[in-house]
Amino acid sequence: MARNDGSVFLNFFYELRRKELHIGLTEWMTLLEALDQGLAGSQLTDFYYLARMILVKSETDFDKFDTAFEECFKGAQKDTEVTQQMLKWLDKKELQDELAKTDRDTEWANRHSADEMKIDKDDVETKFKQRLKDQTEEHNGGSFWIGTAGATPFGNSGNYVGGVRVGGASGYQSAFEVVGARKFRDFRDDRVLENRQFQMALRRLRQFSTKLDIPKTELDIDETIHKTCNRGGLLQIEMMRPRKNAVKLLLLMDSGGTMIPYSSLVNELFQTVSKSNHFKDVKCYYFHNCIYSKVYKTPECENGDWVDTDWMFRNLSSDYKVIIVGDAAMAPEELYSTTGNYRGPNGGLSGWEWLNLLKSHYKKIIWMNPKMAPRRAPWREAETAIGQLLPMYKLTVSGLNQGMKKLMETR
Amino acid sequence: MADNYMENGFESTATYVASEQLLSAVNIAMALKKPLLVKGEPGTGKTMLAQAVADSLGKKLIIWNIKSTTKAQDGLYMYDTIQRLYDGQFGEEGVDDIARYIKLGKLGEAFESEEQVILLIDEIDKADLEFPNDLLWELDQMEFYIHETKRTVKAKQRPIVIITSNAEKELPDAFLRRCIFHYIEFPNEELMAEIVRSHYPNVEDNLLKNAMDVFYWIRSLREIRKKPSTSELIDWINALQIAGIPADQIREKLPFVGVVVKKDEDLETIQHAPR
Repeated sequence: MARNDGSVFLNFFYELRRKELHIGLTEWMTLLEALDQGLAGSQLTDFYYLARMILVKSETDFDKFDTAFEECFKGAQKDTEVTQQMLKWLDKKELQDELAKTDRDTEWANRHSADEMKIDKDDVETKFKQRLKDQTEEHNGGSFWIGTAGATPFGNSGNYVGGVRVGGASGYQSAFEVVGARKFRDFRDDRVLENRQFQMALRRLRQFSTKLDIPKTELDIDETIHKTCNRGGLLQIEMMRPRKNAVKLLLLMDSGGTMIPYSSLVNELFQTVSKSNHFKDVKCYYFHNCIYSKVYKTPECENGDWVDTDWMFRNLSSDYKVIIVGDAAMAPEELYSTTGNYRGPNGGLSGWEWLNLLKSHYKKIIWMNPKMAPRRAPWREAETAIGQLLPMYKLTVSGLNQGMKKLMETR
Repeated sequence: MADNYMENGFESTATYVASEQLLSAVNIAMALKKPLLVKGEPGTGKTMLAQAVADSLGKKLIIWNIKSTTKAQDGLYMYDTIQRLYDGQFGEEGVDDIARYIKLGKLGEAFESEEQVILLIDEIDKADLEFPNDLLWELDQMEFYIHETKRTVKAKQRPIVIITSNAEKELPDAFLRRCIFHYIEFPNEELMAEIVRSHYPNVEDNLLKNAMDVFYWIRSLREIRKKPSTSELIDWINALQIAGIPADQIREKLPFVGVVVKKDEDLETIQHAPR
């Protein structure tokens, strides 16, 4: 069955790949094989789960899969050829019901998203209440569009409009409801981090440590015994590379005023780093907006409670991996001026020059930014400039993972 | 799901309650002869799943626990050179027969079994990055080669392979491509009630409801660092039952809440959170 209709689903395959799900031919063939064996039953919902468990290999990708699934199988109604083949393959009535419902809901959602465009700050509260009322009514109808309401201005305000709670209560009867609920939005790896995820990300700094080029200095007891016994008791020593982590970490954290909204996030990162005992060494200093001739020992950045940045260069060798955490939000003059900043001495060099010195001293530096501008933001000149000087990532799961990878790259 | 393969398939057992999707994931993995990779929050019963599958199908379970130092070779076979040398020195017979000193690992054991077994590879992500890739051929072809004796160990009955992962490290793509993936979601209240009842069939309705309300309330608190899991709820309900706490006091006094919440900060949080 699937062999004949396989081409119908090619569109789905490419849609998934467009959504950056890296699905290979192996998985795709497995799915076709499963369809051949009739494992999808006769319902769209079963097909949804079957396809997901074969094609998607991480819960962080469930959301991408859901959106692709929704787009593909909603679009099917417009393409009559596809629809006919689809209907042959799927339970006819159920699908049509789904499509009809989808239509209604789309209209509803469109109307509402148009409303949202006009919302200003003062209006939010009233709108929120109105939305709550709407949601209750709509929920009784079992609509799935409630889930996507989580992306509205008040999406984070509570569980009422969040896709998780509302969707979860409706007891999934159809694939579209499951998809629409977008339950796995919270698992997307571009979501802002939490402590445990910090730990996981930092463990990446260990993952690659066995590939470090260190001499074989430890006695490989197992292999020595094995080789020795194999030679009838004639001793043969085997050495191996130590499994210890050789990573040394230098954490430089911005504690400027614009960082206050992120203080708990940054604090979590600091806690995680200082608690993780798998690094050879961890050093931590603070700065205010940009790095100048002094780095501070405490987040309060008080005068006198500091060390010279030069001292840091001399004492913390160039093989320290450096993570700078900051929002890079400063006026261009604060970055380029050589006449000093309002907070402390700069040693006659601008912040920009200090950053260049830092870059020339340490081989591996990344900048983690909790509120990075999406793509280019001409009004944030300092951030753009720093982003060009140092690899900059957003302080999220995927951002930190990318950053860790960057820190561990061999070249 | 289609009935034809659900017959003789995996079903929930007396002590393990699986969601609909988990049931079909297990059955599909069996039908497609692929390893089933199970991920999920700690305490959602990943490891128990394999035991339940074994019980349900009446098959033997072989567990291969992975540690950070485990190598793929450990699961295949070990050549006991020490014993051989020892035997050689004391002139034991059969020293020239190397096969006597080959000890099969868990994977080898599963291959050699006359009957189909369930093989659980537990917490595969604990090992080094290369570990899963080193097993690709063996899990695909269900065979491996013993160099010392020039013998190929081939699975007599293809074992059902269940692999669990805590997502501590990324698993290699090549390995993932060959697996069926299932993410165990945290159970909703309905399923959770069923799970608790499977452990304590006589639990009082009121007690269960109150305890579960508090439990889900704690999980919903934003400030909670470590969310309590299923196993903690089960322990808590056990404690409440043994102590004979009246159901209406649970919400107010939070007795034995230390069973559910383990961190000092979290205890602090729930003492001060509005109820």
